[in-house]
Amino acid sequence: MIGLEDAIVRFGARTIIDGLSFSVPVGRTLAILGPNGRGKTTTLKAMLGFQLLDAGQRIAPEIVGYVPQTGTSNQRYRAIDIAVMGRAAHLGLFGQPGPNDFAIAHSALEKAGAVRFADHFFDRLSGGERQLVLLARALATGSEALVLDEPAAALDLHNQERLLTLLNALRAPRDKAIVFTTHDPNHALTAADDALLMMPNGQPPLFGPVAETITPDHLERLYGVPMRVVEIDGPSGETHRAVLPAFAGIRAA
Amino acid sequence: MAVVTQDGTAPVARHSHIARQTAVFAALLALFTVAFVVSLCVGRFSVPAGRALELIWLGIINPARELASIDERIVLLVRAPRVVLAALAGAGLAVAGAALQGVFRNPLVSPDILGISQGAAFGGALAIMLGIWGFPLIAMVFVFGMAALILVGMLSRINGRTETVTVILSGLVISSMFSAVVSLLQFVADPNTSLPAIVYWLMGSFATATWERTLIAAPGLILGAVLLWMLRFRLNILSLDEAEAQSLGANTTRERWLVFGLIAIIVGSQVAVSGIIGWIGIVIPHAARLLVGHDHRALLPASVVLGAGFMVIIDTLARTATAAEIPLGVITALVGAPIFAVLLRNHYRERTGS
Amino acid sequence: MLPDTATNRGQMMVRLIRIASRGLLAAAFSGLLAGTLAQGVAAEEIVFKDQENREVRLAKAAERIVSIVIPMASTVIALDGSTSKLVGMNPTAKSAVTEGILGKIFPEAKDIPSDVTAPNFVPNVEALTATNPDLVIQWGGRGNDIVAPITNAGLTAMLILYGTEELTREYMTMASTALGKPERIGELVEWRDRVQKDIEAKAKAIPEDKRPNVLYVGRALSDITASGTKGNYNAWYIELVGGRNASAELNGTVAINKEQIAEWDPDVILLNAFEAKLDVDWVYNDAILSLTKAARSKRVYKMPLGGYRWDPPNQESPLSWMWAANLIQPDVFKYDVRGEMKTAYKTLYNYELSDADIDDILWTKQQGDAANYTQFKVE
Repeated sequence: MIGLEDAIVRFGARTIIDGLSFSVPVGRTLAILGPNGRGKTTTLKAMLGFQLLDAGQRIAPEIVGYVPQTGTSNQRYRAIDIAVMGRAAHLGLFGQPGPNDFAIAHSALEKAGAVRFADHFFDRLSGGERQLVLLARALATGSEALVLDEPAAALDLHNQERLLTLLNALRAPRDKAIVFTTHDPNHALTAADDALLMMPNGQPPLFGPVAETITPDHLERLYGVPMRVVEIDGPSGETHRAVLPAFAGIRAA
Repeated sequence: MAVVTQDGTAPVARHSHIARQTAVFAALLALFTVAFVVSLCVGRFSVPAGRALELIWLGIINPARELASIDERIVLLVRAPRVVLAALAGAGLAVAGAALQGVFRNPLVSPDILGISQGAAFGGALAIMLGIWGFPLIAMVFVFGMAALILVGMLSRINGRTETVTVILSGLVISSMFSAVVSLLQFVADPNTSLPAIVYWLMGSFATATWERTLIAAPGLILGAVLLWMLRFRLNILSLDEAEAQSLGANTTRERWLVFGLIAIIVGSQVAVSGIIGWIGIVIPHAARLLVGHDHRALLPASVVLGAGFMVIIDTLARTATAAEIPLGVITALVGAPIFAVLLRNHYRERTGS
Repeated sequence: MLPDTATNRGQMMVRLIRIASRGLLAAAFSGLLAGTLAQGVAAEEIVFKDQENREVRLAKAAERIVSIVIPMASTVIALDGSTSKLVGMNPTAKSAVTEGILGKIFPEAKDIPSDVTAPNFVPNVEALTATNPDLVIQWGGRGNDIVAPITNAGLTAMLILYGTEELTREYMTMASTALGKPERIGELVEWRDRVQKDIEAKAKAIPEDKRPNVLYVGRALSDITASGTKGNYNAWYIELVGGRNASAELNGTVAINKEQIAEWDPDVILLNAFEAKLDVDWVYNDAILSLTKAARSKRVYKMPLGGYRWDPPNQESPLSWMWAANLIQPDVFKYDVRGEMKTAYKTLYNYELSDADIDDILWTKQQGDAANYTQFKVE
């Protein structure tokens, strides 16, 4: 379980988050949606405990598996050594990772699809590859909560597709509470159960299952761009929903 | 995502990695051992190498033996404590530098930059002025080294956040402040007695090493180095960005201060008996990184061995090259600065290249 | 050790070069002074060139002198025979004066201000001006930074150079001239000359292999320093009295280690008088130094502290040479040092030196059992 309860965060006179409440139980995935500058990052930090709340409460396990957008790359560590850092909380101040921890790290790299560059230097990997290593590290913490900061932001379409597949694979066992932030409502439709929409102009954020929150009306208010939701038949007969922005004033019927 | 290598090459890479590390450590240990033994065999007073080795052996198997002849005393009472102290100090400074660069995520910081050395020097200079020697002097050296560090910490904490650049700038400010006060002490010091002692202090030397001084410095140097070594995996965590380190369960602020405290113990112990010795804390960790990589689990032991060997070699040059003692700071700067320049260029060339 | 002077080797090198280049000039010092004085100056006006070749012009004999230079404070007292002309001195000189025999001879010396300069010779202009000095004695060869504050305040500075006997005689002569007592220096220089020539004559016959290696330890307690021969006063009188400078291979005054001393294995060790806490036990209690020839034959001596420390050149230097001669070449020199001291103190300070005073100056209590030291005991 991870979430916030009546959380308020102010920077000086500006209120960034005003009475925000949501929770993600184990087994569900939440997508936090919204354009830049609506407090997505602040919400994420507040959930992780990096941002002190002016009021309200943070609900989170002691260690949260956190996947930053870009990892520290001014130190030259091998991918496996980065992944094994996920064990730090279990090892304490003076502890050293043993064979068991390396085994956990290795299987986390496998889960994240990063095992093939386990012995490569992290700072020599591409942006997408680094993200997989950071995901493996978050998995290696063994936390029931997983928080990803804009995981798709720097990826091309092909890699976005791979990431979403991976997120769904992580979601499938229903043994984790997963939260990710994104600009793209399609990511929420593909890989999330719930969505949190960071609405403009001090309107309260919308929180609820994807089916109820990702609607053309909400999205138009969220992004200020007309939107339409289309239904597409999947390869095995199931129906997928997809969101299309109506750029250049073309309002879809 | 781009596939960098084929599956299945990883175990091979791991084995070659371990083999390489083992070879590097074996070479470093061999270098240190040779430097240590050779250093015991050379000096201004000529003792044949065979005789020196025999004396060392006799000293090891029977430390309580009565030392009657001059060559025994030279080897066992002058050279041995000096070489041991140089090795301990070099190891301590190098490991302190490596740890500090890790927690600051900046390869250019060193205990001198953080004001610890200048603060410690002030403590020492003040103690000399007040006629304080022995353990109280070491206590003052340590307290002022730590005080400098705390001042830097307070000065660099803005809105509850501490940025690397503000820490380095604060370090410069505090360093300058303490060196100004040291200059003031020099200004009022008696040129016949306390002034030479202070100047000697500032230049750094192992010339006055005795077993007593070595034993005074050893606990702090060894304790600090061993605790840092025990923190080697934690240092990997602390070398990550603040948020990442915290998310992995590190209390970054508290643990960073723990590391700083250990560094102050090391630098304080070293400065107390041998004055300010620059460059070791920055050049050695860099060289060690080139050899064994950035992982603190390998970097710290490599820094210890390389720092000890390097310091022993430098000090041996200082005491044997001429009849006069060459100030250590002169040699470490002459050797250290060019090495550092090359390392720095390589570092940034590589970075802009990748 | 260079007394009360450079800890900075760079400055020292500069000074050594200057001293070397001035050697010739110094040889003709008396003629030069006489020449300047003869140039028909106004009745009382005193004009001379100092050792930086600057013209020093005094309207009349100086009555208020400040010595920023440490040993010159006691020299001014000796030249005048009183403390009345000395109105300011270096704090380090003051400690030497008040703690040594001069403090007993001239108890009023404790009231002379010492805030006119920092120990490192940087003048405090306001305190200096407040003493209203006619003449300020300052070190030359150390750059203009320690001189400009004096001249900018409109005060007259006399710059002197450190190092050799020639320079010493020259600047003592200048000070005497400035005091308006040119006749006073005559007897002092004559004494120096007489003792020096007497020692030289006797030492000439000493064969090379009978000249012991003598190590003068300039500093011992923080680091250990010794000096090369060139331009070094201690090395000069060691050689004068028939010894050899054990540390001749050094350049200037530098730090050395005990292993190096063991390698030199000096026959005689002279310890400086600057470090109050230093005594011969420093050698005898040391594992290495106690095995040197000097220690084994008990030929370790701390330099006496008289009107000033006997190591550097000062008004009492001939006593220092005779003391060293008797110890370094006991078979050749048999000076009656106690008698000479009594005579000299009468001349220099108009003071009747007691036997207890002499014992204190020569440290007979501390090092009376050293080799050849019984000669200095009261008969």
